[in-house]
Amino acid sequence: MIAEWLTLPKNDLEISDAIVCFDHETLERKPVFKTDLVKHFTTVKNRVAVKIVENIPERGDVLDEKAVDKLLITAHCEMQRISEEFQHGGRMAQILRPIIETLRGENSDKKIRIVDIGCGTGFVLRWLAATKVLENVELVGTDFNETLIREANRLADAENLDCKFIVGNAFGLKEAADIFISTGILHHFRGESLYELFKQQNQTDTLAFVHFDFYNSFFAPFGSWLFHAVRMRTPLARHDGVLSAVRSYKSDKLLEAARRTAPDFSTAIYGVKLWGLPIPRVFHSLVGIRHQYKNDFLKNLGRWHRFSLGVIE
Amino acid sequence: MIAFLLWLLATIDAVFVGYREAAGRNALINKKTYYLKSMLRGALFGQTAIVLVGILILLLITLSSDSQILIDDLKNAGGRMLVIYIPFAVVILTAFVVRLIPSVDIKSITSTVVFGPFTFLRPIIGVIGIIYALIAVLKISVFLLGLIILLMMLGLEKYLSVFRR
Repeated sequence: MIAEWLTLPKNDLEISDAIVCFDHETLERKPVFKTDLVKHFTTVKNRVAVKIVENIPERGDVLDEKAVDKLLITAHCEMQRISEEFQHGGRMAQILRPIIETLRGENSDKKIRIVDIGCGTGFVLRWLAATKVLENVELVGTDFNETLIREANRLADAENLDCKFIVGNAFGLKEAADIFISTGILHHFRGESLYELFKQQNQTDTLAFVHFDFYNSFFAPFGSWLFHAVRMRTPLARHDGVLSAVRSYKSDKLLEAARRTAPDFSTAIYGVKLWGLPIPRVFHSLVGIRHQYKNDFLKNLGRWHRFSLGVIE
Repeated sequence: MIAFLLWLLATIDAVFVGYREAAGRNALINKKTYYLKSMLRGALFGQTAIVLVGILILLLITLSSDSQILIDDLKNAGGRMLVIYIPFAVVILTAFVVRLIPSVDIKSITSTVVFGPFTFLRPIIGVIGIIYALIAVLKISVFLLGLIILLMMLGLEKYLSVFRR
């Protein structure tokens, strides 16, 4: 049973990616055929995924959109619980604070626009808005999934939070982002698309980026399995959570991709080892900042947090 | 004293079960009231289970041919349960104290090292505690009582979920 989970096919899709399909140009939703999905997961010998997909209701072989949406919202709600437990909002704020301070420089009134790529139900931005830990910032979340964005806006409205969520491509927004952030999306970009992601940030007016994802350590798959087993109720959330840890990128790979395709940025991995000690963390982040801000950023980061920052180049 | 400590541990456990059952169902950011209500709900369900066990124990004692021997046996079994459950509870409560330190890293460590693995271990510890108690008192009535306690302890989260709907 554990082996079945720990040996999930590394280069395969997460179920949440497979059960919805959008046209990235028109943002229109396309039908997803159950038989095709079951066949795919059977071919890659992912029996866990086969069982999960088989249990999703369908209408004439097309996965029922309402059932899929409900499932995705439930899974995101459960995933938020893990983010809360691991203090992800605070962790994001911890690294954003010195970046914002650096970008503002002398102009302390400057409003900084932060765009969350693939925000899902927008936990990070809603947390930042609710706690008001960052001053004078504009918080915008983007995702291709309309249902998740609708839910993010509903939750933000329910708590009267100053942040907004938009369906669409983060790089196609009318106003450019000063800082791009993301959580748990890097491993979704396989092969060339990872390079493309950083390339797009290099081309825009972006001044910095912070991308959090699972830290790929020896213990990560087992730790992820254990946590998802005790914390998640939805089999889909368990499956995707474990697979995320299994297929997450090594720090070196992320740095190589960012340095190759976003050469205008100084990049480093933040938070690999806890307090500079050989204790792996659950998440690490790829931090990038335009070269001209590098020294000020290091100064503003402070001595203590610099322990957590890898070599910045 | 043994009965009081067992009641205290059962109540604390029920409070945590209430929290766990509610977690991951509400995506708002500020949900202190939601969690407080859920913990209270857990505690109340826990008390109901405790009262049921209390009634069963009273029945057993009343129906026993030698009630004093049974009371001694139950005391013995309860004491052995505490030997297993108290260290487990102490580790968890210590982790809560550590979690008060305002550091995202320290708070995360309490989850990776204590809360996550200990939630995983809880059913196993529950079973070990009951087995350790039953070894000392080999009686069918006490065995059945232990089994009922175990089922209620491990099933509390499920019951809470059922009544949520």
